[in-house]
Amino acid sequence: MANNKVTSIEEAIAAHVQHGDVVALQNMATQAAPMAAVRELIRQDKRGLGVVVLVGGIAVDWLSFASVMDRLIGAAVTMEQFGLCQRYRKAVEGGRVRVEELSETALNARLGAGARNLPYLPTRGLIGTDLIKQNPDNLRLVEDPFGGPAVVACRTLVPDVALVHAHRVDAEGNVQYKPTTLWPDIGIFPKAAKKVIVTAEEIVSSDILRRSPDRTVLPGFVVDAVVEVPYGAHPTSFFPEYRYDSDFHLAWAKVSRDDDAAQEFFDKHILGPSSHAEYLSAAGGAAMMSRLRGKECV
Amino acid sequence: MSGEAHQEARDYTVDELMISVLSSFFEDGDQACNGMASFLPVSAFMLARLTHAPGLVWLASATGLEPRPAKVPASTLESQLWSDSVMYMEQYGDFWNYAMNGRWLQKFCVGAAQLDMYGNANNSVIGADFHTPKVRLPGTAGLGDMGSLGKLLYYWNPNHSPRSLVEKVDFVSAAGYLGGGDEREDLGLAGGPQAVVTNLAVLDFEPESKMMRLRSAHRGVTVDDIRAATGFELVIPTDVPTTPEPTEEQVRLIREVIDPDGMRRREFGR
Repeated sequence: MANNKVTSIEEAIAAHVQHGDVVALQNMATQAAPMAAVRELIRQDKRGLGVVVLVGGIAVDWLSFASVMDRLIGAAVTMEQFGLCQRYRKAVEGGRVRVEELSETALNARLGAGARNLPYLPTRGLIGTDLIKQNPDNLRLVEDPFGGPAVVACRTLVPDVALVHAHRVDAEGNVQYKPTTLWPDIGIFPKAAKKVIVTAEEIVSSDILRRSPDRTVLPGFVVDAVVEVPYGAHPTSFFPEYRYDSDFHLAWAKVSRDDDAAQEFFDKHILGPSSHAEYLSAAGGAAMMSRLRGKECV
Repeated sequence: MSGEAHQEARDYTVDELMISVLSSFFEDGDQACNGMASFLPVSAFMLARLTHAPGLVWLASATGLEPRPAKVPASTLESQLWSDSVMYMEQYGDFWNYAMNGRWLQKFCVGAAQLDMYGNANNSVIGADFHTPKVRLPGTAGLGDMGSLGKLLYYWNPNHSPRSLVEKVDFVSAAGYLGGGDEREDLGLAGGPQAVVTNLAVLDFEPESKMMRLRSAHRGVTVDDIRAATGFELVIPTDVPTTPEPTEEQVRLIREVIDPDGMRRREFGR
């Protein structure tokens, strides 16, 4: 094996995420967040992180409560049917997390410019909104050099680290997804980031990937660390493998407004378990896992 | 269609009325998509496809094309809604190639925490200071794009009140008619807000001033009720008709086929 990048989640986060880094998260509300990596950021007590996310969910709530992040660059933060992220809200309202709010196309443009080493890419979204004047460092209305209407220049964004969760990966970091929607754009943000940590449901041999190279969406040469974490997106969903965990989201939503109860939840689910297996066990173990793989419409 | 199918229902609830009105905005040849927490638009698209607009194309969660979910599930952003699709679209990147193009997905339903008299929407912050707001709302997501991309915007608001319908939004996270008149047009923006469907009324925008105007009142709701529940002076025409009521067939479809679990009612009373 020429480039074996397999490591543990502890070592991956310790080696590749520094205090103050800008960390890009795969996530769309209750979908597909790299939760094992997020928990490890908290366990290692990282500080001063900026979080880049399309629509953050429980991951952003936890990172806010743990005071791991102090800024957010993203389009929205919500747990959808489980309500607003209350700890994130409180942190923003208290001035402890600073928000750079972008529309989806503006975030897309900033990361796209980062991936392609461009100073900016334009969008036609956001024109007329207060989001442009709120963010003069990164968004500017500019003339079209070809004579058309003005567009919004979205400044390049290069995260220090991208956290990706995938279905399977080989030891060199070639990343495959099962037939899927590729939420939320694995297509751009890992290519913009300086480093990429991939957690995956399973690590497989390259020979397995060779059977379906059309499913490989990220080449190993962009990846720095590879970690096997089954149910690594729990409690978010990871289509088509497992659904979001309603009970778990509800349990967090219920305690999240109260400092002591939220801390108790953290002790039980994040700080207490000494391994991913212990985490899964505390979250309901085999019964939970089989429930989330069931087919019924919820 | 039998005459009976067009019979106005005697018994319906306001969620069913709102779904019926929203569905009337979507026709064969349109493409509709939905975002999160969008039970009323999703129900409306499903209803339109089952009744007057079988050719309405639906891109569920901006992800699953022409899906066939068994019913409205607990989330409008998760895979249960995209079941049996003909295509999975990569939302964040590829979706916008179609949505920004200007030829497709020209109608969009918008839910917002605050909406003002010129149809500007706020899902960002309540309060004067963006960085220490009184309330941090979820954020603009795709709305900040949709408002500026020439789309026809259809707002829905299940909780018509002076808090949600305000004279001026605290923060413009999606462009409506901005300061009214030609201001939107002068910025080069086409499209714009077309209607607002609330639990009390249907509203639209006066063509010259772009001020929000009462178009119809739901059965049992008076103009004074609507005035009292609105945080600014609405344009009120001399004749205010009653909002067209759902047919018996529409109500049956909503209750028995589209949303037997009543997910649509989760949006009310917030």
